[in-house]
Formats: sequence, C-alpha cells, structure tokens
Amino acid sequence: MKQLSIIFCILFLGIKANAQQAQEEKDSTQVLEEVTIVAKAKKKIETDMKMAVSVDDYLASSDNISFIKRGAYAWEPLLNNMSTERSSITIDGMHVFGACTDKMDPITSYVESNNLSTIDIKSGQEGSLHGATVAGSIDLKRKSTPFSLEKKYSGAYQTGFEFNNQQLFNLGNLSYSNDKFVADGSISFRKAGNYYDGNNEEVKHSQYNKFNTSLGLAYKTSPLSAVRVDAIFDKAKNVGFPALPMDLWLSRAIITSASYKQLFEEGFIRVWDTKLYFNAVEHYMDDTRRPENLVHMDMPGWSTTYGLVSRVNIKHGDYASEIQLNVYDNLSIAEMTMYPQDRSKKTMFAYSWPWVTTRFASLAMNNSLDFSEKSRLNFGGSLGYNYNHSRYAEFNRIFHPGTPQEKSRILPGLHASYQLSVRQFDFSVGAGYGHRAPSVSEGYGYYIYNSFDRYDYIGNPDLKNEISYEANASAGFKNERMGVEAKVNYFHIQNYIIGRILNLGSPMNYQSVGVKGYTSLNHASIFNIALNTRYDILQHLHWKGTLTYARATDDKKGNLPFIRPLSYQTSLHFMHKRMGVQTSLNGDFAQRNYSPEYGEDQTPAYMILNISANYTFSIKNCKTVLQVGAENVLNEYYSTYADWGNIPRMGRNIFTSLKFSF
Amino acid sequence: MEKAIFFLAIACLAVMSCTKEKTDYQAEIDTVVGEHSEFKEAASISSAGYHISIEALNGIFYKGYNEIRLKISGSQPNENLSAVTFLPVITNAEGSKTSCPHRYNLVYSTDDKYFPGYVVFTSESSTNETWELHISFTGNDQTYSARQNITVREQTNKNLNMTTFVGKDGEQYFIALVAPQKPKVAENELVAGIYKFNKPDAPPSGNFPDPSQFSYTEVNGYALQLDPRMPEPSMGNHSSPNNKDLAQQDDGLYYGVVNYTMTGNWTLNFIMLNQNGKILKGTEVPADFTPGVEGVKSELYIDILF
Repeated sequence: MKQLSIIFCILFLGIKANAQQAQEEKDSTQVLEEVTIVAKAKKKIETDMKMAVSVDDYLASSDNISFIKRGAYAWEPLLNNMSTERSSITIDGMHVFGACTDKMDPITSYVESNNLSTIDIKSGQEGSLHGATVAGSIDLKRKSTPFSLEKKYSGAYQTGFEFNNQQLFNLGNLSYSNDKFVADGSISFRKAGNYYDGNNEEVKHSQYNKFNTSLGLAYKTSPLSAVRVDAIFDKAKNVGFPALPMDLWLSRAIITSASYKQLFEEGFIRVWDTKLYFNAVEHYMDDTRRPENLVHMDMPGWSTTYGLVSRVNIKHGDYASEIQLNVYDNLSIAEMTMYPQDRSKKTMFAYSWPWVTTRFASLAMNNSLDFSEKSRLNFGGSLGYNYNHSRYAEFNRIFHPGTPQEKSRILPGLHASYQLSVRQFDFSVGAGYGHRAPSVSEGYGYYIYNSFDRYDYIGNPDLKNEISYEANASAGFKNERMGVEAKVNYFHIQNYIIGRILNLGSPMNYQSVGVKGYTSLNHASIFNIALNTRYDILQHLHWKGTLTYARATDDKKGNLPFIRPLSYQTSLHFMHKRMGVQTSLNGDFAQRNYSPEYGEDQTPAYMILNISANYTFSIKNCKTVLQVGAENVLNEYYSTYADWGNIPRMGRNIFTSLKFSF
Repeated sequence: MEKAIFFLAIACLAVMSCTKEKTDYQAEIDTVVGEHSEFKEAASISSAGYHISIEALNGIFYKGYNEIRLKISGSQPNENLSAVTFLPVITNAEGSKTSCPHRYNLVYSTDDKYFPGYVVFTSESSTNETWELHISFTGNDQTYSARQNITVREQTNKNLNMTTFVGKDGEQYFIALVAPQKPKVAENELVAGIYKFNKPDAPPSGNFPDPSQFSYTEVNGYALQLDPRMPEPSMGNHSSPNNKDLAQQDDGLYYGVVNYTMTGNWTLNFIMLNQNGKILKGTEVPADFTPGVEGVKSELYIDILF
C-alpha cells in the first residue's frame, strides 16, 4: 500500500500530466510502467543541433511553428501559420499576456530553457483545453522534480559563448527532493551584442540582456496530495529590435502560482489539480537610442492577470476524460506619450490600450474512447465566456462612434478525431469547430504602429467572433529503421480578422504611412502540410528530414501574409562512443505566394548549413558535455519571409557550450 | 541552499516594485483644462435706487466669449423694465473708443428670471486699454443709465480662444469658441459664435455712447468648414475622422463636431463661407502626413490645447 502511494506521488509530480498516457493505467503494476514512460517521454529543451538553445530555437524545431522575427530576441511564434492572437499560449495552463502593443514580448520570451521541461504543442481545436483558440495551443511545461524516498540533490550548470554576437550565457538549476518536500530553482543570464549578417555587416540594435530565475516548492500534505508554489521572474534590459524604430529599455515579468493536487486510488476520478495564479508583466520601450528619431514616444505597457485552472482526470474502462475549468481576469494598459526633440514638453498623450479588462471563463473537456487496441476516438469541446471592458472607451469611439464600453461573447468549440493503427501504419482523421474573441489589440488597440507595413492600427470593439472550421488528417508508417509521417490540416475561418486601410484615418506615428483598422474578412482559408521522415542508415548514423508547405488565401483569393513558403529541414546525426556529430541543412524555397497588399515583398530562397560536434565525459560524478559548432557555416546573407522589415539574419556563428550535470 | 532560494525569492519581490508610474489620465486632463459651470457676479452697479448685477461664469470676464446674466433689483419688478441695453466699450491709450461683439438689447426671460446676453471681449484689460460697461433701461417711464469699469482677464483655457479678421468682403468678423470648455478624446460638439461689425453709416450723434457706432450682429446662414489637425512637427499634420462642419442653429450659434484623437495641441482650421457659399476667409490645408514638418495652417484658424 505504501509503495502504491509513493508510485502515485511520483506519477503526480512527474509533471507530465499526460492524460492519455495516465489513463492507460489499469492497476498498480501498470502505474509503475507508466512512470517509466513519463520519464522517457520527458523531452529535454534542446535540439538535435544545439544543446544550449533558447526557447525560441527549441520551438523552431517543431514543424508547425514558424516565427516572426523583429531581431535576435523575443520571436513571435506562429502556430499553423497563424499569429499569436489565434493560438492559446500558456505556461502550465496559466494565461500570461504580453504588455507590448507591438508584440515585442511573446510569452515565450518570459521563460528560459532551464526552467522548462517540455513544450506541449497541439494543433487546432484539440488545443482548446486551456482556452478558446483557432490555431491550437502551446503550453510551456515547467520543470518540477518528483518526490523521492531519499534525500537527493541534482542540478546542472551550463555556460557557453557564441562568437557572432558575443553572446555569453550562464544557466544553472538545482533541485532538492525528499519524501515530503521538493525544491527546484534555476537562474540564468544571457548577454549578447549586435550580430553580424552574412555580409559581415553589423546589424545595429540587435543586442540583448536577459535574466531569468525560477523557484518551485512542493510539500506533500498526505500520501495522495500535495501543494506546490511556483514563481518565475524574468527581466530583459536593453534589448534591441533592429526591425522596429524603437528598442526595449526594460521588461519584467513575475509569474506565480499555488496549486493543490489530489490523487484518488478508487473511483472514476483519478486526479484533481487546482491552481491559482497571478502574473504581472511590464514593458517599457525606448526610442531615444535611435538618432533618426526626431521625436520620441514613450510607450509603456502593463499586463496583469489573475486566474484559476482546475482539472480533473476521469478514467473508466476504455473511456478516459480530462475536464478543465479556466478562469482569468486580465487588465492590459498601454500608453503613448510623445515628446519633441528637446523633451521638455510633451505634445500628445493617448492610450494604445485604454485599460482593457478581459475576463474569460471556460469549461473544456477532452475525451478518448478506445474501441480496440487499434482504434481510438478522441472527442471534446469547450464552452467559453469572454467579457471585455474598456475603461477609456472614448478612444475606441473615435473610430467606432457609439460603441459600447462592454462586450460579452460566447465561445464554443468542438473537435473529434479517429485514430487507427494497422500493423505498422497509423492513420487519423479529425475535424473541429471553434470560435475566438478578438485580442485586446484587435478589439481595443488605438494607433498601434506596425513597422512591417508601416501602418497605424485601430481596433474595432464590434468585431464578430472569428469562427474556424477545421479538418485534419495524418498517415504514417514506421518500423525499426525508418518512419514516414504526413500531416495535413485545413482551416476555413469565417470573419477572419485582419487590418484593412481606413481612408478616414490620419496617421500619427512618425514612420507611419496610413491608418488600418481591424476588420473581418468574410472568410480566409489556411492549408498546412508537413512530411516527416527518419531513417537509421547505420546503427549510429541517423537521418531526418522534414518538408512543410502552406497556402493561405483571403475571401478574394488573395494571399494572406506571413505564410511560410515550401521549406525543408534535413539532418544527419552520427554517434560514436562519447562523440556525437550532427549536421543539418534547412531553408525555404522562394516565396511565391506573397502578399503586397499586407506589406510583403517576395523573399528569395535561402539555404543554411549547420554543423556541430559534442563530446561527453565524466569528472567525478559529474556528467560533462562539451559542444562546439557553427550555424550558417556558409555565411549566407539572407532574411526569411517573416523577418520584419527584411532584416538580415545572423551570418556564420560559431558556438561553444559546456554543460555539467549531476 | 533553501536559504539561498528563499533570499532569491525575496530579492525578486524587491525588484518587482513598479518602475514607471502609470499616467493619471483623469487628473492630467483636469489640470490642463479647468471647467467652470457656476455663474457668479462679475460686476455690479448701484444707481438711482437700482442695483444692477452682471453675472458671468466663475464671476470673471475673460477674453473671448462670455455668456452673461443681468439682474436688476429696485423699485420696479424686472418684468416692467423695458429698453434694457448693454454695451461694452474699450478705450485705448489714444482715447479712441470701440466695442466688441455683444447683445445690445436684452430681453427678460421670465423662466430664468434674468436678462440673458453675451459679450465677446476682444482683448484683455491692461494699463493702456480699459473696458467699461454701459447699461441703460427704462422703468416708470424714466430712463436710467449706468456705467462701470470692469476687468477682462486672459482666457487660460485655449478651448475658448477667439480670432478676429477682415473677410474678403471687407467686413470685420469675429469667431469665438463657446464649447466645449473641456474637450474629451471623443467626438465633441463644437460651438462657436460668428459675429460681424456693422460699419456705421453716419458719424456719431447725440450723447455718448451712440449705439449705431458700436453695432455688431451674429451673422446668419454662414458655414464654417472644419479641419482639425495637430500642428506640432512631431505629429506630422495628424488629423481625426468623423468631424462635422459648423452650421447655424436657432440660437444663432454655429454647431459642428470635432473629434480629438488624443490630448495635445490642436489647430482648428476653418474656411468661412457666406450665405451664397462664397469663401470669405480660410484656405484648405494639406492632408498629407508630414512627420517632422510643422503643420500648415489655414489663413483662418484657432489653436486649442487640452
């Protein structure tokens, strides 16, 4: 009995919380198996190429993520070629909203690779568990060490240097566990200078400084229950955004939570996990370092969120279910104050986010029903309620006279998929339907300058819900030596929200050429296809390849912006004893379906070659890995389709890193 | 180690105290623009058993448009007083006397229990220029007249600015802003008075003051086209949507809509047309966005700030 409870506790703190696997358990012996599966499934935040990656680099290795890049830091992740408004990005299910109107601080910029265990990406409505979405969900899972019978310390320290932008980083994490108490701590520093492009020219204003630390404490209140408190503090200072007319002076985030988890040995309900959270983000832009700016505008932003996540896992025979309640309240504030050259007197003031409150509550469930060992039906849905309130609605009424101060929306979502395994083949088909509410910027933004198309954007509080109809399918084959998988998805999105030129508007920001208002297109459609293959050429020589393509059109068959052209990634991985050598080639073909209407120009093809080698050895009980490599070995000068303002990407970069872990 | 983590957590909270204060928008608007809503006595005259009280907003006469309320107390009830007239006169250093737009004949309002009127002072009182009010009325078949020196102060609220100019027809015109006193980032009802000086046909006669020498009227049926812009170079000639030109309503004043998109300096660029649609003053301003260049103003404009 005691052993059983320990097993349960290990399971419970195995952070994995992977419902489908957890639900496969039938009795206590299988629970133990499940624990080992969890340990294996726990992916490290590192790519094949590079062990000391940033969160952005790690996300980039996923085939349905692409990025809008405004510099070397804080890339905006696009899921299924859709921008962050359309996906739900959470940290352990907690909603955090960036405080920058120009999307210079996606949530992924407030965590660090050494306080995450894995990133859970779900495509389309399957990701509606944490909140209403169209594109899917990205859940950043934090590291948390399980309780252990004996006192145990573990930790890692990683340091490295990258030559191109003189980046120096130091990442450390330490954990302590015993049978009643667990503590996890991490700290990291990154400092980088300007990087150099493929023509060996300095890309000015591309430096960054980041400090991140996290702490998690768990205490076992009974054999089947535990409480846990977590906090992340992140601070970025003096971050350059070469593609924007301003930089970041300071951004800070504190992300905290307290959770209670109860396990049940009997009955349908297996796990009940409830978490209260609070996070606050502040973001201050700075344009005084740019001599070309004759005027200066202060654009501070604040975002504060309180929330609750409560989840229950149910299992009965072949049926398993995960039910989650999400509640949050967010207040987003952003100001604009403009000064003339002498800065003595301000010339204007306005709110770009006029104190917008968003309250959201949703009840979501994911179910799975096993018909046999070979076939399974997944189905689920969510029902959300979204409420917005604009404290200074007069700003919104300038362009939308008489618009109400408050707005409520009901956001339903449904999805189902069927999975079938026949011998070495896997198939799945699925469909989904879901609504999303406009984001704070889309609904209530006011003169938000977009330096990509150089328009000032105005939100529209009366926008309709965006409604997505989605279909997806996949087919795969695998044996010991090789695997092939093809995935397709298609989204038909009604009331697709996008900026359109407003003739009556007069621009305000210095570099702006006009005013765009967020409007709904009648519909838009997005199609994504990805092909993944792997082949073990020799026992220690592995090949992987990925090919992705996407096509997206608006209601007049015009192209949508930021859609990734045909792109590929291929890599070879060779291991011998303590040595490993990897090489990869990735690139995009020429962008054929670009959208001049939304400020895009054609991006030519590019190809990047990367090489790295690592050596593993032990110093006393300490596992040590030394890695040396080069990215963009051929020093290609390029920018991708989603590089804001066509800023060139980094040229050849030699990187080194050393990691000790115990 | 636990201690270290504990101190780290404390350190985190310490650095988390707010960095930049949020702007107190409401307080900021209140300090830049004051709003007056209360009528108080601004001048009083006691003469021949009558006490005349002239009330204005905040009890002060300001340069620009002033709504006034005249109350006369004495042996006769106000209803029985007739031929009540009101005339402001300014005397400059050389001794020449002129007036400014005003309502000369005041009619008693039985509902409000006062004589409503207005005056648009064209300058502030100074050592060289003094303002004097001349008031006369008839009660018991006897005509009383009174005069009183007054002080006209600077209007610090630029939203109540005024301008005076000579139109293409050779006439002298006055445009004075009446409302909003305290604009918002919103659609504001813009109210202005447009007045004209009626040139006298004959030289002055009779006792001073001869009202025919100081005749001003509200112009009727004119139109005032509006193009509001932010003139600062940094604002690049920024404008706003959904503005409406000013047109005259029953009370003689001109009403339109001005939309301010943000706080700051704004210029109301006007084009004034007469009843026949002929431009009397004003030019079209460029609509281009010209960052770094001070906005071009119409030849007829009023600057405001909020």
